[in-house]
Amino acid sequence: MYDKQVVRRRRAVLAVLVGLSIIMLTGYFGESTGGPLHRFQGGVQTILSPIEAGASRAFSPIRNLAGWFGDVFDAKGQNKDLKKQLAATRSELVAAQAAARDDAGLRKQLGMNQKLGIGQTDAVQARVILKSPTAWYSTVQIDVGRGDGVKVNQPVVTGDGLVGKITSVNGGTSTVTLITDSSSSVSAMVDNGASGQVQPSIGDPNDMRLQYIKGPAIKVGQTVTTAGWASGKLESIFPRGIPIGRISKVSSNELKLYKQAHITPFADFKTLDQVEVITTRLKQPTNPGSAGP
Amino acid sequence: MTLTPGAFVRTGLLVLLAVIIQVAGIQSIPILGGTVDITPLFVAAVAIYAGSIPGAIVGFATGLLLDLAIGQTLGLSSLVLTALGYGVGRYRDMRDPSHGLLPIPVAAAATAGYYAAVAAVSFMLEIGATVSLLVLREAVITVLLNVAIALPFFALIRRILRPVLAVDPLQRMRRRQGSEPTATGPLGLRGLEVNR
Repeated sequence: MYDKQVVRRRRAVLAVLVGLSIIMLTGYFGESTGGPLHRFQGGVQTILSPIEAGASRAFSPIRNLAGWFGDVFDAKGQNKDLKKQLAATRSELVAAQAAARDDAGLRKQLGMNQKLGIGQTDAVQARVILKSPTAWYSTVQIDVGRGDGVKVNQPVVTGDGLVGKITSVNGGTSTVTLITDSSSSVSAMVDNGASGQVQPSIGDPNDMRLQYIKGPAIKVGQTVTTAGWASGKLESIFPRGIPIGRISKVSSNELKLYKQAHITPFADFKTLDQVEVITTRLKQPTNPGSAGP
Repeated sequence: MTLTPGAFVRTGLLVLLAVIIQVAGIQSIPILGGTVDITPLFVAAVAIYAGSIPGAIVGFATGLLLDLAIGQTLGLSSLVLTALGYGVGRYRDMRDPSHGLLPIPVAAAATAGYYAAVAAVSFMLEIGATVSLLVLREAVITVLLNVAIALPFFALIRRILRPVLAVDPLQRMRRRQGSEPTATGPLGLRGLEVNR
């Protein structure tokens, strides 16, 4: 009798939890980004963001230490003579390397801003505080939000190139969907005038695809940038000319059958730390002969 | 698990801590091309020490908080982690495992199962893009990293949960080892053993 009750209770708990999960999944898919579940998610993110930012800051020495270990492994051969000295100044070195990385990132960012004509008031700097743990959803959370002028669909870049777009904004944080996310698609141009759509390859952020290629023949090594236009009369959310990556592989079979080539993106998605949100719509030339969607 | 307010608070704080540590800390520390993922480990640890119902509830709460915190499809992680918690808990209920090295196979199976289930549900929902084989490599590395930290991690969770556990599997094992005869009796016949 007791056993039957236990079994019944166990099954009921499982059924309720699975049912709730499925209801949330279905509801989340069915509603728009302004729907109640999305709003609830935004509210929880707002509540959690100070805790997450604090935790992220607390973990930064460990991250720097992990990065330091990576650097040491790479330079092992050259560092033999300096090992003793290095051990004594290890903690100073960790801090110095972190600062140097930040500095290099900011310098690159400045170069990119000058190239794209982004003024000081056209963009806000942000730091990545959360990363999605699965390879299937490439999202990160950054420490700027509505209060900093960030809005949904604004482009996000690093000094290397395009990173993604803002998909949800809270008071002090925003979610960035990276161009490596399964839902991402960016209209792009190759520097010889060919055009297409950049789409991700799930799980391998360093191997993206340029699909639906139109125009002149493309070659390995050519640079791919945002096209600045989308389908029909729709305007692209990405301004024209943001570097995306370099053509890394062109197979004649793939090109013939699928009209696609491989791209290695410029941005390093694994070690994303500092990013910039372009908050102002930049002036860009119109392109009436758009080929991509 | 004894269902007291203290147990709820203790487990709730653990859920919050596990999710925050994962998304704000561990996720940004790549090791050998992968990262440790403590969410399936945590749910499996709770399930193996507390049983199927607490396992399923903690799995649901962890998944829900994870989905809310990182802004991904609501319900996906909670569905997978509920099933994971329930499955590991049922294994515990039926087989009554108490071996000291149990966390290793449990961590491997839980992490691999979690990754496979997330992949399957993601495929069913919306993935239309190309999938690289590197997903598999990353999953394998994460399984290995989780296995590497399984023993201390499970020990830590057991230590935190012990005051609210109705039955501690390891203590039960030790009690059994202490009370049960280690060999047959002087005549070599079962039933005539000398208890130590």
